[in-house]
Amino acid sequence: MALTTAPDPTRRGPGSARTHADRRGPGRLRHSEGLAGYVFLSPWLIGLMGVTAIPMLLSLYLSFTNYDILTPFSEVEWVGLANYERMFTADPSYWHAVRVTVTFAVIAVPLKLAAALGVALLLNRAWRGVGLFRGLFYLPSLLGGSVALAIVWVNMFNRDGAFNSLLSLFGITGKPWVNDPDWALETLMVLAIWQFGAPMVIFLAGLKQVPTELYEAASVDGAGRFRQFRNVTLPMLSPVIFFNLVLETINGFQGFTAAFVLSNGTGGPVDSTLMYTLNLYITGFTELNMGYASAMAWVFLLAIAVITAIFFSTGRFWVHYSDGEDR
Amino acid sequence: MHPATPPTTDAPVGRAHRTPLPRRHLLRGLLAVTVAAPLMFGAAACGDDGGAADPNAPVKLSIFWWGGDARAKLTEDALALYTKKHPNVTFETTWQANQGYFDKLATLTAGGNPPDLFQIDDNYLAEYAARNTTLDLTSYQESGKLDTSKFPKSLWQYGVVDGKLAGLAAGENTQGLVYNKTLLTKHNLPEPTTGMSWEQHIAWAEQVTATTKVPGTQDPSADYKALWVWLRQQGKDLYKGKELGFTAEDVTKWFELWKGARDRKATPTADVIHEGNSSDVTKQLVVTGKSATSWVWANQMPDLKKNTKDELGVIAYPGDPSAQWARASMYWSVFKGSKNKDVAIDVINFLNNDLEAVKLLGTDRGLPSNLDLRRVVSDDTTDPAMKQSIAVEAELTQKFGESPQVPIKGHSKVKSELIKAAENAQYGRATPAEAAAQFVEACKSAIA
Repeated sequence: MALTTAPDPTRRGPGSARTHADRRGPGRLRHSEGLAGYVFLSPWLIGLMGVTAIPMLLSLYLSFTNYDILTPFSEVEWVGLANYERMFTADPSYWHAVRVTVTFAVIAVPLKLAAALGVALLLNRAWRGVGLFRGLFYLPSLLGGSVALAIVWVNMFNRDGAFNSLLSLFGITGKPWVNDPDWALETLMVLAIWQFGAPMVIFLAGLKQVPTELYEAASVDGAGRFRQFRNVTLPMLSPVIFFNLVLETINGFQGFTAAFVLSNGTGGPVDSTLMYTLNLYITGFTELNMGYASAMAWVFLLAIAVITAIFFSTGRFWVHYSDGEDR
Repeated sequence: MHPATPPTTDAPVGRAHRTPLPRRHLLRGLLAVTVAAPLMFGAAACGDDGGAADPNAPVKLSIFWWGGDARAKLTEDALALYTKKHPNVTFETTWQANQGYFDKLATLTAGGNPPDLFQIDDNYLAEYAARNTTLDLTSYQESGKLDTSKFPKSLWQYGVVDGKLAGLAAGENTQGLVYNKTLLTKHNLPEPTTGMSWEQHIAWAEQVTATTKVPGTQDPSADYKALWVWLRQQGKDLYKGKELGFTAEDVTKWFELWKGARDRKATPTADVIHEGNSSDVTKQLVVTGKSATSWVWANQMPDLKKNTKDELGVIAYPGDPSAQWARASMYWSVFKGSKNKDVAIDVINFLNNDLEAVKLLGTDRGLPSNLDLRRVVSDDTTDPAMKQSIAVEAELTQKFGESPQVPIKGHSKVKSELIKAAENAQYGRATPAEAAAQFVEACKSAIA
C-alpha cells in the first residue's frame, strides 16, 4: 500500500492532460469499453471501497473526534486537532512506543537483510540438497507472524527455556530474556531476523538474473571473490536490495503479533515491547479511545509514506537497473 | 512482489491508465455514508419502546459471555431450561475466551449489533454505563421483575454506576490469598491465617523462602486488587467519585512495603513476578511452583486446583478483612437499545433466582447471588476445591465491609499503569517514590 503512496511528481501533470485528450477521442466506443471494464472490476472495487477506502476515510474523520467505539457515531464530538496535539505534546507513552519501534526497525531490518543475502549467496551454488536447505530456511517466514511461533519463542527464551538450557551446557547462566525489560525487545528482534526466508528467496531469484559473463569478465580482469561481490553482485542486485529494504522496513514498523503475544497484549515488561501498532491497539480497544487511536494510525501511515519516499529519493544514487538507462 | 519487475522510481504502471474518478462526487458520497450510517444506527437504537406487546410472540435473544467449555455447557443447559418453560424464546449464544472478549464486545457495539444480553466485569461496567450502553435496571428491580430481595445488599449495589443499576451480579466472590498447603506441610511450616498483618505476612513469606527455597509470596505491588484492599485498610480507596481516592504518598508506602519484601527475599525476582503479573490464572505462580502464594479472586480456586497436584488453601488478604467486600465476580447487563429488554430482564432473573437454573450453573460464575439458593448449592456441591472456596467466602461474608463504588471510566488504563509503575520499581529502574509519582500522574490523565 505504501509503495503506491510514494510521491510521483513526474506523472501527475502530463497524466491529467492525457486523460483530457482521451475524452476528446473516439468517445463512445471508449465509454462502453470503460463501462465493461468497471463491471469486471466491480468485485474488487466494491471490496476496496467497503473494506479499505471508506473505513480509512472514516478513521480520518474519527481522528478529529473523541470517538470511543461505544458511543454511536451520531453523538461523537468533533475535537479538532486535540488528538494530534495530545499525541505530540502530552503523551509520553506515545513517544516511548515510537522509540521502541524505531529501535526495532533500525536494528532488525538491516540484520535481517544481511542474513537473507548471506544465506542466499550460500544457497546460490549448485550443490546437492540445496533445494532442501532453501526450503528449510524459507520455512520460518512461511509461519510468518503466527501466534504459535511467538508462543514457542516465549517458551524458548524465558528463564527456564531451551535457550538457557543450551547456554548452561557451556557453563553460562542465561537471563530471563523475554521477561527482562533490557532484553525483551532484543528477543523480538532475533525472532524477526530469524524469519529471513522471504527476502532470501527474492535475493536468490535476483542472483540468478546476474549474467555470468560479468563474473567471467571480472575474473579475466583479475578481480577476486570479494571484488566480484562488491563490483558485480551488489550493483546488479541493487534493485532487489532496494525492493527488500522497502518491504522489510514497512514490515518492521508494523511488527505486532510477536510483541502482542510475548507481552500478553500489554507491551511489557515495563513497556519494553510497546511497539507502535501495539500501543495503538491498546489505545483503541483496551482504553476505548478509538478517535485517538485513529489519529495515531494516520500519523503512522504518513510516517511510513515519508520513510518510503526518502528511500525512493535516495534510491537514485545507488540503485542500478540493468536495462541500460538508470531511471 | 516479483523480483523480476522491481518497482522503480516511477509510479506503478496502472496509474496512467486509470480514468480519474469524479472526485468531488466520490467525496460527497463518502460523506453521505459517514453521516447516514450513524443516523441509521442511532435510529435503530431508539425506535423500539412501544412494540412487543404480545408476550407470546417468538423472540430470539442474543447472549454473549466469556469463559471456557465448561461454562458454555452449563450456560447453554440453563438457557435450554428457560426455552422449555418459555417456548417462544430461543437464544443465539456466542462465547469465547476472556482474551479478546471486550475487544469483540466493543466492536459489536460500535457496529450497531451488540448482543441483547452480555456478561461484563467491574473493569468495564462503568465504561459501558458511562457511555449509556447498558440499560438502567433500577425500574425493573423496583417493580420486582428483577428480584434482588435475596441478594446481599452490598452485592447488587456494586452494580450501581452514577445512581443507575448498570448490571446485575452473576455471582459473588472476593479477594483470596491462595497458598500451597502441600509445600508448607512438607516443611512443617505454619499456614497463614486471615487477619495476619501485612508485616506478619511478609515475615512469614521470608521464612517460607528460607526453608523451602520457593519464594514465599508473589509480590502483589502491581496488582490493583491488593493495592485496593490495602488502601481501604488505610481509610482510603481506589476511587472517590470521579477522582482518585489516594495520593502519591500512599502508593510510595505501598511500593516501599514490597521493596522491603523483595530485599528480604520474601518474593521471587522481578522477572518471575512479571510472569505472574502478565499471565492468566492457569499460570499463576502458586500453581507453576514459582511461589508459595498467589493473590487471586477466591472463585478462581477450582481453576487453580486444576493446574496443580498440590493441595491449596485460601484465606483473606492480610490486614483487616473488613476492607474486603462481596464483589460481583461478573455481571449480566442488557444492551440499552435491545428490542427484547423485557425478555432479557426475565432471563437474568431466571438465571439468578430459579432453583433449577442456579443448581445447573453451580458456582461457575462465583457463588450464587441469591443467598437462599446459595445454601442449596453449597449443600449439593461435591467438588472439594469449590466446597473450600464456599466455606471461606461464607466465613468472610460476616466480616465484609461496605462495597466501594464500581471502578470508574479509565480504570483499565489505571490498571495497566499500575503494572508499569510497579515493575519499574521491581526491576530497580525507579525508586518507589519515583514510580508512585509517575503512576499518579498517569492515572490523572487516564481518568480525566
